[in-house]
Amino acid sequence: MVSRCTHLNVALKFAVVLSSASSASPPFKISTLNLFPCIPTARTWSEIHATQGNKVFSTSPHQTTSATGCDDNDSNDNIIGRGFLRLPDEQLMGQCEMETFKASGPGGQHRNKRESAVRLKHLPTGIIAQAVEDRSQHKNRASALSRLRVLLALKVRNAVDLDAYSPPHELLLILPAKSTVRALECGPQIKPNNPKFVLGMQALLDLLYAVKGSISEAAQFWGTVKLSTGALSRLILSDDQLRMAVNELRTSMGLKSLK
Amino acid sequence: MKTTCFIRVPSFCTPISPIIRKHLQKSFNKTGHYNQNHISTLNSAQTSISTSPSSPAPSTSHKPQTPVFLRPLIYSSTFPDLQSFTSWAKTLVSSVGSTFVQLDNGSDSTLLLRELRWLLEDSIDDPSLIPHLGICQNGGITSNTGSSSTEVVRLRVSLGQMYQLWKQRIQERRPFQYIVGCEHWRDLVLSVEEGVLIPRPETEKIVDLVGNVVGGNEMLREGLWADLGTGSGALAIGIARILGKNGRVIATDLSPTAISVAKFNVERYGLQDIIEIKQGSWFSPLVHVEGELDGLVCNPPYIPSEDIGSLQAEVAKHEPRLALDGGVEGMDNLLHLCERTAAMLKPGGFFAFETNGEKQCRLLANHMENEMTGSFRDVNIVSDFADIPRFLTGFCD
Repeated sequence: MVSRCTHLNVALKFAVVLSSASSASPPFKISTLNLFPCIPTARTWSEIHATQGNKVFSTSPHQTTSATGCDDNDSNDNIIGRGFLRLPDEQLMGQCEMETFKASGPGGQHRNKRESAVRLKHLPTGIIAQAVEDRSQHKNRASALSRLRVLLALKVRNAVDLDAYSPPHELLLILPAKSTVRALECGPQIKPNNPKFVLGMQALLDLLYAVKGSISEAAQFWGTVKLSTGALSRLILSDDQLRMAVNELRTSMGLKSLK
Repeated sequence: MKTTCFIRVPSFCTPISPIIRKHLQKSFNKTGHYNQNHISTLNSAQTSISTSPSSPAPSTSHKPQTPVFLRPLIYSSTFPDLQSFTSWAKTLVSSVGSTFVQLDNGSDSTLLLRELRWLLEDSIDDPSLIPHLGICQNGGITSNTGSSSTEVVRLRVSLGQMYQLWKQRIQERRPFQYIVGCEHWRDLVLSVEEGVLIPRPETEKIVDLVGNVVGGNEMLREGLWADLGTGSGALAIGIARILGKNGRVIATDLSPTAISVAKFNVERYGLQDIIEIKQGSWFSPLVHVEGELDGLVCNPPYIPSEDIGSLQAEVAKHEPRLALDGGVEGMDNLLHLCERTAAMLKPGGFFAFETNGEKQCRLLANHMENEMTGSFRDVNIVSDFADIPRFLTGFCD
């Protein structure tokens, strides 16, 4: 870990926010392995770091090169952090170290033990997701992977340039269908149970971190049309994990929790 | 012991005479006698259940049991009675502690609690009640929260049967999968019962290995495959689902119980047009396709005979020895497979065999290289998820 600090001055692509409250949502386990503290370049990160006492971590580009190239269209600097979520399952799995129970004996026909737990460690970020409750290892692996996607959305923060902000497409997709900022071609609203929701959730959290958790301020950043604060709040409250992440941020900023 | 030796030997004779087969049937009954009580319990339960219209009718005399989760909701209980069952079941579990682990590396109480939750999941109409019964998501214990006591809970087995089943699980070490009559394997839920090997998680990887080779190879993807000693049909079904629209699988097994259970599973997944199930020993049901197979997979019995007695009680006492015992070195069936595979496969055909571990993998690979020079290419030892060298794969040259 110490030796890797030589990379610290390289321009940062994204940051992973690990907060004390993150362990409150079992059965996830968050680990700081493979991460090292550094000085964030975006103002939001340093402010969060300074005011909230959250640990802010970032990975070096050396660790994340495998994720580049998955997002050719995105010209901003933060493609890597978002890129993880856009990877198809096999490629995201390829960035993970999978741990299963280690058989204590010869395994195979010798044993009949229902230890099908799967633990995935996402090497570029060190985020760990696991699943134990399913009855087959195959399903636990799929559950762990979809959990990893949620955790990546919740924990990996992309820098946002508020002066030139326009809501990314994936964020528009999760907005309420009636919203005026939502272009018609967006199609039906993507709800929390849709796997694509995590992309919009990540973009929304990026913006909320940039505006220090203020819902009304976040509602200003939708181009020429203003999204109502109420509509944005309702969106946040529609998903438990999103609500918890936002409230955690707001509490740390001295703001009231959304209810 | 005598009977099982008897079973093992004729598994090499091809074809089997009707007399031997008759004897084999008898031996099955004998080896299965330990479980006769459970079976009769379940059967008597089933007589009161009308067979659901979707359950396929097997052509063999053996009637496969319906897994608990597929049975109709014809029983009921009250919430407090179900709570009493759960706390009784938990008491049994805590009395086990780590006894099974020390005895034969069996399940500890955490795993048993998880199984208890799965039994409830399969038996109860509304699984959202389970957390209120004092069993949490991960199988741990949650505090009992008050719930309306008059609420009627609909069940797929009677509460009395649930008591009986859980007692069998703990006191007789009856495998959990036989208790609920199914095993979750890959993305499948396969029916299993006494007399049929419970498919192991290790074996799931063979389907991935087949998936890898058929991915870029149309001949293999649209080809004719065989799964020898199919048991519950797990491998045949897993493979049939990744083959192309013209792919076909022949699944064989010597045991009539396995044949009927495999049929049940194949039909439940609607694969009866792709998978053909044939009863017989090893290659004998495949003589008509000699040299025409594009792929061959097998998870043969590979445990050395002398190890059988010391296996986990669930395995040693309850699973069919026919599916476990691989002879003195455990290699009898694997060597037989090797000998015949080259003749059965087309040039370029793929094979994948499961073994007992590194030693058997190496012995087989050496055998192929030295005794069968030129028959195979790209012979590979592949490890399972626990990093134990487990599979031998390769192609017919």
